[in-house]
Order: sequence, then structure tokens, then C-alpha cells
Amino acid sequence: MSSLRWEDDDLAYDSSVFVRGKGHYVDDIIIPEMLHMTILRSPYARAKILSIKGGLSSRDLGAKMASVGEGAGPNQRGSIEPVFATGYVNYVGEPVAAVFADDRYRSNDLLDSIEVDYDPLKPVVTIDDALNAGPIHNGMTSNVLVESSKGTDFPDPKSPIVLEDTMENDRVSTNPIEPRGIVASYVNDILNVWVSTQSVHSIKDGLVESLKLSPDRVRVMQTDTGGAFGSKGGLYPEYVIASYASMKYGKPVKWIETRREHLSSTNPGRGVRGRVKIFAEQNGRITGVKGDVLVDAGAYGTGIASFSAGFIAMMMTGPYSIEKGYVTGRSVMTNKVPQGPYRGAGRPEASFFIERMLDLLADKLKMDPAEVRLLNMSDKPFTSPLGMKIEAARPFFEGAVRELRYREETKLTRGVGLSFFVLVPAVYPGESARIIVKDHRIKVWLGGNSHGQGHESFVRKLVNEELEVPESVVTLFRGDTGMTREGVGSWGSRSAIVGGAAIVAVCRKIRKDVEKKFGSYSPETLLSGYFDEFINEEQKMSLNSFGANLVTVEIGKLGNVRVKKCIAYYDVGRALNREMVIGQIQGGMAQGIGQTLHEGLYYDHDGQLITSSISDAGVPLAEDLPNFEVKIAEHRSALPHGAKGVGESPTIGVPPALIRAIERASGKRLSKTPVKPDDLIK
Amino acid sequence: MEEALELLTKYGEDAKVMAGGQSLIPLLKLRLASFPYVIDISGIAGLNRIEEKGDYLEIGALATVNEIEENYLIRERYRALHEAAGLIADPLVRNRGTIGGNISHGDPSNDLPAVMIALKAKLELSGRNGKRIIDADSFITDSFTTVLSEGEILTKILIPLSTRESGGCYIKQKKNAGDFSVAAVAVNFVLDSSERVKSAGIGLTSVGPRPIRAANAESFLEGKKVNDSVAREAATIIVSESEPSSDFYGTVVYKKKVLLSIAEEAINLSYERAMVR
Amino acid sequence: MSLVKIKTKINGKEVESEVEPRKLLVHFLREDLGLTGTHVGCDTSNCGACTVLLNGKAVKSCTMLAVQANGKEITTIEGLSKNGELHPIQKAFLEKHGLQCGYCTSGMIMTSFWLLRKNKNPTEEEIRKNLSGNLCRCTGYQSIVESIRYGAELIKEKEEQQEMVVR
Ligand SMILES: Cc1cc2nc3c(=O)[nH]c(=O)nc-3n(C[C@H](O)[C@H](O)[C@H](O)COP(=O)(O)OP(=O)(O)OC[C@H]3O[C@@H](n4cnc5c(N)ncnc54)[C@H](O)[C@@H]3O)c2cc1C
Ligand code: FES
Ligand code: FES
Repeated sequence: MSSLRWEDDDLAYDSSVFVRGKGHYVDDIIIPEMLHMTILRSPYARAKILSIKGGLSSRDLGAKMASVGEGAGPNQRGSIEPVFATGYVNYVGEPVAAVFADDRYRSNDLLDSIEVDYDPLKPVVTIDDALNAGPIHNGMTSNVLVESSKGTDFPDPKSPIVLEDTMENDRVSTNPIEPRGIVASYVNDILNVWVSTQSVHSIKDGLVESLKLSPDRVRVMQTDTGGAFGSKGGLYPEYVIASYASMKYGKPVKWIETRREHLSSTNPGRGVRGRVKIFAEQNGRITGVKGDVLVDAGAYGTGIASFSAGFIAMMMTGPYSIEKGYVTGRSVMTNKVPQGPYRGAGRPEASFFIERMLDLLADKLKMDPAEVRLLNMSDKPFTSPLGMKIEAARPFFEGAVRELRYREETKLTRGVGLSFFVLVPAVYPGESARIIVKDHRIKVWLGGNSHGQGHESFVRKLVNEELEVPESVVTLFRGDTGMTREGVGSWGSRSAIVGGAAIVAVCRKIRKDVEKKFGSYSPETLLSGYFDEFINEEQKMSLNSFGANLVTVEIGKLGNVRVKKCIAYYDVGRALNREMVIGQIQGGMAQGIGQTLHEGLYYDHDGQLITSSISDAGVPLAEDLPNFEVKIAEHRSALPHGAKGVGESPTIGVPPALIRAIERASGKRLSKTPVKPDDLIK
Repeated sequence: MEEALELLTKYGEDAKVMAGGQSLIPLLKLRLASFPYVIDISGIAGLNRIEEKGDYLEIGALATVNEIEENYLIRERYRALHEAAGLIADPLVRNRGTIGGNISHGDPSNDLPAVMIALKAKLELSGRNGKRIIDADSFITDSFTTVLSEGEILTKILIPLSTRESGGCYIKQKKNAGDFSVAAVAVNFVLDSSERVKSAGIGLTSVGPRPIRAANAESFLEGKKVNDSVAREAATIIVSESEPSSDFYGTVVYKKKVLLSIAEEAINLSYERAMVR
Repeated sequence: MSLVKIKTKINGKEVESEVEPRKLLVHFLREDLGLTGTHVGCDTSNCGACTVLLNGKAVKSCTMLAVQANGKEITTIEGLSKNGELHPIQKAFLEKHGLQCGYCTSGMIMTSFWLLRKNKNPTEEEIRKNLSGNLCRCTGYQSIVESIRYGAELIKEKEEQQEMVVR
């Protein structure tokens, strides 16, 4: 049986090959005898399966999904996703059966050979349905998946100002331009998996758990990954099915998602509602905040939903020093694809809610929104009643008001919006790194994997600084569980922080090895020797960074919003590569605009997906977007390499600033994304 | 050509004509439609000519949307057509999609049928038994349904020659860039010597089960000089002739507001253009 | 399904092949010819990751059958560099960071190549309009627009140099 032969260089992460069309994406893998897998998916949002004839289905593979990746928590009883729908289907697009053929067209043809009988049931589609209807799963008593609270409850104070609003962010598909995909090949009792992912270790852990395999029999390798934005961090049913099939049939199995499948069956983000009440004094000082967060978890607890309700609740005070707080959070189950992380994963929602309330307060008191924000900040570090630790906020944001030219812009036009936020990156539990020095080359592996964030550039730079070797001898390889025995993943704005820290740590370890062996260190002795070190660098430190955005808009007479200026002022810590950081921020700002103006996933009352193309889902085009202005502040973090988080800042900061600008330009209070022309047309 | 018509007759309902494939292939890909035989007509020679001949501008059905967009004659004299072509899909789709396919698909959201209505175009349909010429207005009868009979293809589009007294435009409101429209209006006027509308053509996209000819608004405008209040009233009539439905692109109320606004703008702009001699 | 013989010229080379009539051009390029630089990002002809040149014009190779390429010339991303040297537009994307994950890049470059053939000095607005058939989810497009502008400059420089050589 044949296997994939990629030369060493093919496994290196090298973004310069992309302009030649020489990337190594998962669909580029062609192995002789490879089978193409096609999944038959549920056409119903909720139905009892009466019978299945043909194809591979739950009869053959009765495994359950494992909860791994960003925000993974213990699975809640009754809500664990089966790999193949078992007994019932619970969302449109849920895998029911799989077919295999030697060519993708023939594999697709085989779908017609499967017969499934369903007895359709009334689906639970919206958050309100979920709260009112009986549980969608047997074995649960309601549709509430988890319930948590942050802070301590307090009686409503008799404040002169009490404001309350309900706000919402619709579901958004992550829509990386490369859909998901996997190739699994079982050779000599080893399951080799190539996958487009943010985390080879999550996928490995998930496969090991779901298929009950021994960890040393599974190797997961990252292919070039064409974007992810949260959706490629965890395990999906198709990965388990393809792996299982490659073992069962003794042939490599490839599965490549179609865009339609991505929209129906890849975990989307947002889909969160918040009801928030603030108590304030006449002078604008907020004394307390109460809130209730509702997360649309979708059909199973495998995604991030069990984590996100509490996470959003925890961040509900934003960068403000509010003394009293009590926020409850619930994730509720609906007959839709499970919710997952999307760039920001809870941070943008929390920021949206509190920033909308600050604007409401400013309007109520006829105060300047920047003023209200600043007077609610502290000059000292602050621990919020909800459990978030933040550094002294006011000095940074006073600077931000100047850097963003806020005063000047408000004189020029009505449609100006401002937002302040604090980014809490996902540093815990750290990250791993391995370095092998051989033949005058330095090869590097990271536990978390690059998919366009420029890991290779910070890796080269840090190795150069730590080991005094030229950057040209350093090569970063794509993620590979065969090379790092443990690791985490790339999400939550963590890569430069924890990945960078791991690189620094492993370099220092190697430096010590050289000193021990040769008495002293020099780059020459290092390069002429052979060294191999691995480290799993723990990170527990709470690190957060501040950011602010300013957006200006014009609204056309038919309600179309044109973003004129979109400016960011973010503390990125030490920028290891300025251009990469700016590129990350620009891309994130585009997604922030997308979420606010264009993007959403919509279902009809039968739970059928209405938005079934990437265009319907609203991914913005070049014409829809402005030029961005990015200003960065470099306040080094306490880590040896000084990095802070940045990846998610723009999706946290842009939506509240943009919606405020639209609110000012239109004169209408707005509480929901996306804002549609229907809402604004006169 | 003969060969294509022969094959079409032979396979009857099992056969489907393909020109640029920009509508058909997406359907086939998603398995939304399938046909045992697909007959590629894109190779038929000479069917992509664009030229003024006799009383008409003749456009071969295989002319691509991009060729129409970039054609000098069309840009100068048939503004509604030029503008509509430049607003269809994106440049890559326009490089393949043909005018014939755009019209024959019968999609009420396709832009060119409304333009054909406004320009009072005639369509040449060819079958094994010869050719017939019909008014563009009567070509599409319902969503994705045309008067083409089995074995027949659209071969030529005949647009009455533009004169110095005519002027028109196409206004398309999109949700996002590169998208089909929420609503769109094609208007073309021919004025008489006293600057009154001698002949009005108005076609609407995306606001009904098929492209709509705003016949009442046309008659209302004929014989009048256009000013703000006339334009406003004509736009109101246009809205009353539309039949939009609520969908992903917006509610009925929203679409009617959009239509009212762009219709008024299109009438004013077309009149202005017709006045400039 | 019976196979159909087709003759094409791909990246300058004559190719004779037998394909299933239903096979999309993009799958023919990727799977039959191993030209995997042309990508697939959607199934509704929206994303442009599959952009190639067909007789010099940029088209979506996912919205064309391989048999329709019979007798035609096709250029893919692999055909842009000559003798290992990157085409100026490729260099521009590298230097100006016109990519992050790289998945949209081939399509972006092919569309830009076509655009710069038609219009040697496009404005920002023209560039953005011409990209309306190509989606990028990573960059926010700004660096892509800059890359295309810079590519236009590099092409001009190169042409001037060549003219000098000719004289
Ligand atoms: C992403 C995308 C966006 C789009 N956006 C728009 C848009 O905004 N506006 C718009 O108007 N269109 C849009 N379209 C559709 C596309 O532009 C047109 O439908 C296309 O131009 C059709 O031409 P074609 O030659 O490709 O037709 P084909 O796909 O080849 O055929 C379409 C239909 O017409 C029939 N047909 C074709 N030619 C003939 C003929 N000569 N005689 C008889 N029947 C024939 C075919 O049998 C088929 O039923 C979009 C398409 C895509 C993929
Ligand atoms: S693959 Fe998306 S347009 Fe071709
Ligand atoms: S660089 Fe990732 S899609 Fe464009």
C-alpha cells in the first residue's frame, strides 16, 4: 500500500511558495488508490431516523465525538454528538452516512444509493423556541445546556440612572476560503492523518478518544491551512469517519468539504444575546452592572457553547472599573449546527454588549461617549467583580482618544463611533516547541500551527535573537504530532505569546546544552553539532492588552452603509514583525465590518439554512471595504520576548465602533448585528 | 449551428443548451439540475458579432457580457445595456457568460432581460424549421420559463437603433458588491422635437416572478416632459406594477422603497441623457 | 461514462487527454495534470480561488467543463514564472504581503495579471472593482490592492528595461 511522500522541504511552512501555486493544502494530496468520501447529510433539522439502507452509518461506527480544542469542556450528558446521527437527526447537515469511491464524482454519485427514512419532528430553531419548548434530547430536562454566573447578586440600587437593553449578534460562518479537509491513511498499524487545522494535537486527542486508539498509533500532520478563524481547532465527525474508513478499507481516504457543507455543518460563531442593565450616577459613573447572556449552542454540546456563556459573562465589565457586577449565562440547545469559536470567541460579544451600554449612557446624560468611558476607568490595576484582572486602563485610553483623532473626527462628521476594549488572550496552559539542530540547519516545530499569521517570521526572529544564528538557517515546520509529543493550538490571540515563549524557552535550553557540552556557547559550535530539545512551556500569567477603534460612516439614501474611516490603536506588546501584525489587524477589521454590516447565517422556521452560498453568508469583497489605518502601541509584556495578543482585537473593537457610527449617522438606536439596509432606509 | 439544432431535436427534453455555462454549471455542480445531454453551443462561429445593421443593433447570442461591456458602440449609444453589463456578477463571470444565456435562463434576477424590455428589443429564435422573431417583452413567461420551444435556441438580439433623441440608464441596488440585485430598473426614452417623451421603455429586475415591463408607467410618461413631480409620479406607478416578495434580500416594504427611489432616479437620469444631444 | 478526447495548450505545452464530459476544468487541472496551484473554495462560483486564464482572459475554472477547453489555451499560476523567475506580479504579492494563508493567492494573482494586461495603471477603485470575483478572508484586501499597484510598477520597470535592451 502506498503512502504520501512529501520531502522535508514540503513539510516546512513557507509562505513564499504560495505565489507560485506550490502550497501543500490537504486537497493537493494525491495518493494512489485513495478513496474519496462523500457524506450524506440530514435534510431535516429534527427527525427520527426510521431506517438507513446503504453506506457507512452509525450501525458500523457508533462512536461519539470528543470535545477538544478551543474552549473544550467536559461534555454534558445527553448532548454529546454522535459521529454519525444515531436514532435522530438534530440539524440540517448532520452526517447520516458516508460513501466512498475512487473519484470524487463517482463518490458523489453513490449518494443516490443510500436510502434513509425519516419521521420529521418539529424543530427548535431560535433561542426563544429553546427556552419555551421541551428538550430536543432525550435524557435532558430542558434545553439549557449549561448555566453559570459570575460575580455576586446584589439588590438593585436606587440609582438615578438605570438603563437596560437587549442586544444580539447573529450567527456568523467562519468561512475560511479553504474549506475543511482531511486525508487519513492507515499504514503499518499507524493512522496517519493530514488535516487543515489550527491544532494537530486537538485532532489527535479527539481521534484517540473517539476511536479508542492508542496515542502512539496516531500521527496527525498539518497541511498548509487556508484560513481557519476558529473553525479548524476541534474535532469534527468527518475526521473520525475518514480515519475509521481508512482503517476499515485499508486505503487512504480523502474528504474535502464543499462550501455548502461548510455553511451547514462547520461550527459557526456568535449567535449570542445579552440583556444588560447598568446603574449609574448623574455624573456618568457606573456603579453596577447586571446581565444575562444567552448562547445559541446548536444541537450538541461539542462546540464551544458550554464554555462561552460563562466566558462572556466574565468579561462583561470591559476595561471599566465597575464595582458591582452580577451576570448569568446560559447556553441553550437548538436544532442547528453546534456553535463554535469564531475569531474572538466570546470576547467580541461581551465587548459589544458593554460598549453599546456605554453609548446608551452617554446619550442619556448627553455626555461625550469618550468622556463617559474615561471617567469609568481606573489609573490603577483593577480586578472586576466578575473575576477579570485588568491593568491600569485610563492612561492608555487617554492616549487612544488622541491617536484616533477622535475630537477632530467628531467635528468633521456626525457618523463617528468609538470603542474601547480589553483583550483577554487564551494563554493557559501554554505551548510546546521542539528544535532540532543538524547539518547546520535549525528545524523548529510548534505545538500550535500557523495558517497565515506569520509564525515563521517570529520564530526566525526569536531564534536569531536567542541563539545568534542567521535567520536563514531556521525553518519552521508545520504542526506534526510525530515531532511534538504534546501541544495546544493556535487560537485566542495566543500564538505570539505562548508560541513565542516556548521558542525562547527551548532556545535557552539548547544554549545550555551547548554550554554543558563545549564549555561555552557560540553559534558556530551550535550549528556544527547535533541537538534536539522539546519543551512544554506552561503559561499561567494573566496578560491582557488594551485597544481602541474609531470608525466613521456615511449612509446612502437606500440604507447602505459606507465605511469611510476605520482606525485602530492597539497595544500589541512588542511587535515581532510589524508588517505581519498590521496585516493581521487589517484582516480582522474586515471581519469586524463583515459581522456588523453583511454577515449572518439564517434559518427558516423549519430550521432549513437559507444562506447557502458564501456570497449569501456575506463575506465582504474588496469593494465593500475601506482602507484601514492601523496604529500600534508597543508596551512590552512581562514575558521574555515582550509579546501580547493581537489576532482577535479587531473583531472585538470594530463592531461596537461601527454600529455606534451608524447609530449616530442614522439617529436610530441599534442593538443587533448585522445592521441591514432595511433597518436604515428612510 | 445545424449540428446543434439537430442534436437538440434528437434528444428533445433530455438535452440542454449551454453557452457560457455561468448559470448552468453552478446548477449542475450543486446537483440542483441534471440533463443527460448538454449541448455546448459556445463554439458556433459568428454568433458573437455586435454591429449596427439596417434598423437594428444586432448582437449575436454568444457575445459575452464582457464583450458587451467593452463594446464602444454600446458604451456610447446604448447606455442602459452598457451599464447593466458592467454590473453583472463579476469580471470573471462576465468573461464567460453570454447575453443569450443571460436572457434565456429566465431568471427574474438576471439583469439583461429588463434592459431588453426597456430597449424594446426583438429576439431571433432559430429551430430546425427556421427562424421566428418575437418581442423581448413576451420572451420570459414565468420564473425560469421562456417561450423557447423544444429544439429552439436564441440566436440574435435586435435592438432598435439608438438615435440622438434617445437616452437611458440602468440602476441596480445591491446588498453587497458582486451580488444579484435587491431591485433594478432599466429605462430608455426617445424624445420628440418638443422634448416630450415619444416612446418610453421601462423594465424591472428582481421585483417579481419574471422581469416586468412597467407598461402603465410607460404610457403615463409618453407625451410628457419629465420634471421632478412627473418622475416621482411615474416611479409610484412603477412600484404599483411591481410584485416583489419578501426574502433574504429584504422585505416587500423595503424592496418597494428601494424601487421607488431608483425608479425616480432612473427616469430623471434617462431624460437628462436624452436631452443632451 | 465514456471519455472524450481533448487537446489543450496548458502553460505553453500542448496536452492531449481523455476526460469525462462532466469533469470540471479545475478538477482536470488539479487531478489529471497535477496543477494543484489552482484551488477550489466554493461551489457557487463566487470565490475565484480557481481563477485561470482562458485564451488570455481570467475565468473561473470551476465554472467550466474540461471539454470546453478543447482547442483553447490555458494559463495557471504555475505558468506565470519563466525559467524559475517570478513574474513581477508574483514578486509584488510577496513583497507587499498580499497574502496570509495563501489560499486565495493563485486566483488573486491570475485576476491581477489579466487586469494589468488590460489596464497598466489601474486606480484603487478599478482594482477593487476588478477583484469582485475573488474573495479573501485573511487580508482585508488592503495589502492585495497595494500588491497590485506595486505589481503595475514592477511590470512597467521591466518593460522599460526590455525596451532599453532592444534599442
Ligand atoms: C457568481 C455569479 C453571479 C452572478 N450575478 C449575476 C448578476 O448580478 N446579474 C445577472 O444578470 N446574472 C448574474 N449571474 C448569471 C450569469 O451572469 C448569467 O446568467 C450568464 O451570463 C448566463 O449566460 P451563460 O452564457 O453563462 O448561460 P448558460 O449558463 O450557458 O445558460 C443559461 C441558461 O440559458 C440557456 N441558454 C443559453 N444560451 C442559450 C441560447 N442561445 N438559446 C437558448 N437557450 C440558451 C441554457 O440552456 C440555460 O438554461 C451570475 C452568475 C454567477 C456565477
Ligand atoms: S471555486 Fe469558488 S469560484 Fe471557483
Ligand atoms: S490570504 Fe487567506 S484567503 Fe486570502
